[in-house]
Amino acid sequence: MNIATVIRKFIIENFLFEDTGNLKEDTSFLESGVMDSTGVLELVSFIEETFGIVVEDEDLVPENLDSIARIARYIEKKQEN
Amino acid sequence: MKICTTCVLPETFPGITFDDQGRCSYCSKHDKTEKRDNQRDRFYAKFQEILQRLKGKDPYDALLAYSGGKDSTYTLKLLKETYGLKLLAITVDHGFVSPKAVKNIQNVTGRLDIDHCAFRPGTDTLRTLFSRSMVMDVYPIKALERASAICNSCMNLVKSLLIKISIEMRVPMIFYGWSPGQAPLRSSVFKTNAAMLRKMQEAVSVSFEKLIGDRLSAYLLKDHHFKTDPSRESDRFPYIIHPLAFLDYSEETILDAVGTLGWIPPEDTGSNSSNCLLNDFAIEMHIKQHRFHPYAFEIAGLVREGCMTRSEGLERLSSRPDAAHLDYIKKKLEAGAESRSFCKGAGK
Repeated sequence: MNIATVIRKFIIENFLFEDTGNLKEDTSFLESGVMDSTGVLELVSFIEETFGIVVEDEDLVPENLDSIARIARYIEKKQEN
Repeated sequence: MKICTTCVLPETFPGITFDDQGRCSYCSKHDKTEKRDNQRDRFYAKFQEILQRLKGKDPYDALLAYSGGKDSTYTLKLLKETYGLKLLAITVDHGFVSPKAVKNIQNVTGRLDIDHCAFRPGTDTLRTLFSRSMVMDVYPIKALERASAICNSCMNLVKSLLIKISIEMRVPMIFYGWSPGQAPLRSSVFKTNAAMLRKMQEAVSVSFEKLIGDRLSAYLLKDHHFKTDPSRESDRFPYIIHPLAFLDYSEETILDAVGTLGWIPPEDTGSNSSNCLLNDFAIEMHIKQHRFHPYAFEIAGLVREGCMTRSEGLERLSSRPDAAHLDYIKKKLEAGAESRSFCKGAGK
C-alpha cells in the first residue's frame, strides 16, 4: 500500500466512518471539518508510529498535514532525509 | 441495545463494529498498557521540558480554562502547588454556571491565591448560540462523537478566547483540565503556530457565522494576531496542554484533593458535570438526535484506562435527568427572543 492509501484508510476508519463522499487527495481536513486540532495530533501520532518518523513541533503546519496529498509529500520528504 | 463487553460504547456509536466476543473496534485498537505507559512517560517528559524552558519568563506562566468543575479545579491545584506556576484562571460564564460552582470558584481561587477573570458574553447571544447549535447541522460527526453540539459551541468559544488572551498577554501555555477520556493522550501537548491556528480558527469562525452571525467575532483572532514577532517567534504562540491525560487520574483522589480547597460537589448539575446547569439538557437533545450519549466516548476511555469500572460507567450513562430541571432549562433558553423558535420539541 502506498503512503496516500494508508493515510486515506486511517482517515476513513477514524474520522469519516466509511462516509468517503468528498474526500479527495487535496481536500483540506480542517476546512472541510473532517478533523480539528485534536484530530490532527491523533493523525500525527499515527504517522510517527506507522512510518517511523518524528514530526517536530515546527512541522505541525497545514502545509504538511492538511490533506492526504500534503501528508504523503511530507512523509516522502522526511523518509528521503 | 448492544453494548461493548469491555467498555461502554453502544452499537449506535459512529463507525463502531464488534468482534465475536462482543468487544468493540475502539477497544481492539486501544494500545496495550505497556505501550500506553511509555507514551505517558514520553508526554510527561515533554511537559517537564516545556516547564523548565518557559516557567518564570513572563508575568503569567499559563492560562487555565477554569470551569469550576472538579477536574479543572484539580488541575489548578496541581499546577499551582506541585509545579509552582504563576497562573491566570479564565472562566467563561455561559449563563448556566451553577450558583454552587460559582461559590466553588470563589473559594478555590481565594484559597490558592489565583488571579481569576470571568467573561460573560451577552445573555441572548449565548442562548441563541446554544439553541441553534441543537438544531443546525454545523458540526461534523467526529466532533459530535465526543460532545454535544451545545458543548462544542461552548468549547469553541472557550478555546478561541484563551488563545486570543494568551497571544495578547504573552502567556506561553494554556492548560485544560480534560479527563483522559476527553483528551486523547496523543494530543495532550500541542505547540501552536500561526498557520495552524489560522486554519483552526477558520473552521470555528464558519460555525459561529452560521449559528450567530458576527456576534462572537470579538472572541476570535484577527489578522494582527497571526503576525510573528521576530524577537520571540518561538514562544508567541502558546502550547496547549492537557495534563490529566498523562498524569494519574482518579475521581476519588480528585474529589479528596479539591475538597481541601473548600470545593463542594454541586447537586444541581447532573451526573456528568460538576459546574454546568445546561449539560443534562444538551445530553438529552444529543441522545434524541444521534442515539448515543455524548459522554459515552469519554467514559469508555476512562473505563479502558482503568479510571472507572465498566459498571460505574454504565450507571453514569444510564442516569436520566429530572424532567422539571429539563423544563426549567428549556424555558431559560427560550427566554432569549431570537432563540425561541429553535427550542420546539426540545426537552420533551
